[in-house]
Amino acid sequence: MEKDEAFMAEVLNRTASRQLTWNTEVLNCATEKLGNHFLNPNWDNSMDQSDPFESALSSMVSSPAASKVPVSGENVMMRELIGKLGNICNSGDASCYSTPLNSPPRFDLSMVNLLNHSTLVPFSADPGFAERATRFSCFSTGGDSGCFNGPLMDSFKLSSMAGNSDSDKKNSGVSRSSSPENAESGVSKEESSVSQQIPSQNDAGTRKRKSIPRGKAKEIPSPAAADAKVASENDESNSKRSKREGAPSGNGNAKASNDGNQKQSKENSKPPEPPKDYIHVRARRGEATDSHSLAERVRREKISERMKFLQDLVPGCNKVTGKAVMLDEIINYVQSLQRQVEFLSMKLATVNPRMDVNMEALLSKDMFQSRGVLQHGIYPMDSSPAFPCGYHPQQGLLPLNNGIPNTTETQFSMKTQGFKLPSIDGFIDAHPQVGSMWEDDIQSIVQMGFGQNQPQSYQGSISTGQVKIEL
Amino acid sequence: MRPCNSLKLEFLKNWIMGLQRWSFSKKEMGILERKKAIKLSADIAMASARNGTTRWSRALIANAYSKHDKHLVSKGASTEYSRRIRSKKILKRSCRRIRRRSKGLVRERTRILKNLIPGGELMNEGSLIEESLDYIVSLRAQVDVMRSLVSASEVDR
Repeated sequence: MEKDEAFMAEVLNRTASRQLTWNTEVLNCATEKLGNHFLNPNWDNSMDQSDPFESALSSMVSSPAASKVPVSGENVMMRELIGKLGNICNSGDASCYSTPLNSPPRFDLSMVNLLNHSTLVPFSADPGFAERATRFSCFSTGGDSGCFNGPLMDSFKLSSMAGNSDSDKKNSGVSRSSSPENAESGVSKEESSVSQQIPSQNDAGTRKRKSIPRGKAKEIPSPAAADAKVASENDESNSKRSKREGAPSGNGNAKASNDGNQKQSKENSKPPEPPKDYIHVRARRGEATDSHSLAERVRREKISERMKFLQDLVPGCNKVTGKAVMLDEIINYVQSLQRQVEFLSMKLATVNPRMDVNMEALLSKDMFQSRGVLQHGIYPMDSSPAFPCGYHPQQGLLPLNNGIPNTTETQFSMKTQGFKLPSIDGFIDAHPQVGSMWEDDIQSIVQMGFGQNQPQSYQGSISTGQVKIEL
Repeated sequence: MRPCNSLKLEFLKNWIMGLQRWSFSKKEMGILERKKAIKLSADIAMASARNGTTRWSRALIANAYSKHDKHLVSKGASTEYSRRIRSKKILKRSCRRIRRRSKGLVRERTRILKNLIPGGELMNEGSLIEESLDYIVSLRAQVDVMRSLVSASEVDR
């Protein structure tokens, strides 16, 4: 969860930096306020910031109200973008979706309520959108992130361009240039490219916009309808908001909010409503919009996010996409690890117990409490004939010796840790038992290797092979 | 993601404790028995290194407690875990529709994964993956420690 929160803070910061590059005066004066709030990396304060942010955003939105350039196509694009970004919001752990995540979208909807069908409405919603876009792109697989971020940022910029300029051509030019860019670095790059690209070439803007959002696995809703949708969505979101108020806390909250959000986010193009504590899910175009399928989608996204973590763990899974194959890899890996454990435990079981009477006598006393004991503990290792014929040192183990130095070195550096072996004196049998001998070996090895205060003193009495352990 | 050394330390500590207990009670055992005991004590040690924070560890301890030698597991934690697991099983049994056929590759593999991970049948899909993540990390730590031990015990040759 902390990871996600840190990520959110990061995204917000980026959003802030993006805002600062916006060209319009409106944006500039607004972003100053926004930037102050965004740039606070302290996630805990995000709640406090959200209200001033909202007010700043509202002021920003309301001021350019007069100067809006009504481009219906761009409105539609923005709604689609909003839809997409709403989807992004849900790609993450439910518990992370506390108010901080929702705070950016809050402004969006309030903006929507303030201004109807204004190009700046989507424009003002952009911070949240951009943030969600980056978040989404981060959660996307590596290959996809570039293309995904591209289209989103394109439409993002398109909307921003709408506020800036009258021409679609500029938008298309911007979008074209920004599409190849990648992930979050691409986001900021795109921002700068936006500012530079304003006087760009001509194109069928709508055509470009439609074609650009392609690369990502998630659907990109094609420019759909209506302003009527916005109004209806507003009403819906209002009602849903009230529904959500009563949601219980914690996971239950997230769950209920998921359902509520999904209900309210039926249309693609609606700007997300200011969230309270919930995850906002947006139905994609062509998908069923009932709460069950939306909840299912949230669940799936959560699962896919966790798959990404697993990709780091399981070797060789970097290029694998798709749940079935990933699951297959995970299963294979877990099975192989379990088999290794079995094999190694069998190997350890074959260690012959030493019938060393001396050792028994030594070990039967309360030895392991003091350093002197350690010398005795080492003694059996030196004199052990120990190992059965079937016990072959295998080539495969040699590279594994790297693991030993790693462990022991760190242990030596952790000398001051309170790690002390439990007193085993009570458990040491006087009889030459299979288990106890072997166990003593382990204990002596452990004492040599782990967390003893003067490990160097052992080395004199230890054979060279064992020095390997103490590396 | 390399298993951290604190996890390995914890695991080894618990393992030795478990082995002490086990050797104390058993006089003679064949190799297979030894291997089973080693593996079991290692698994329990690994699970207790998690201190009951993950579901698979709780399930593992509860299963070990109910099935195997009880002395290997500390009483307090295991009874609590087994109670939890038992109640969860009852709940699942009553709520779950028994599916005879698993549709699709993903479901089939999810089912396999659930069988692999201790206590996996009781989890929903999302937490299953989370648990498997943690389980993989613990398994790696366990394998590393055991390998170190094996190679250390070979040293004298």
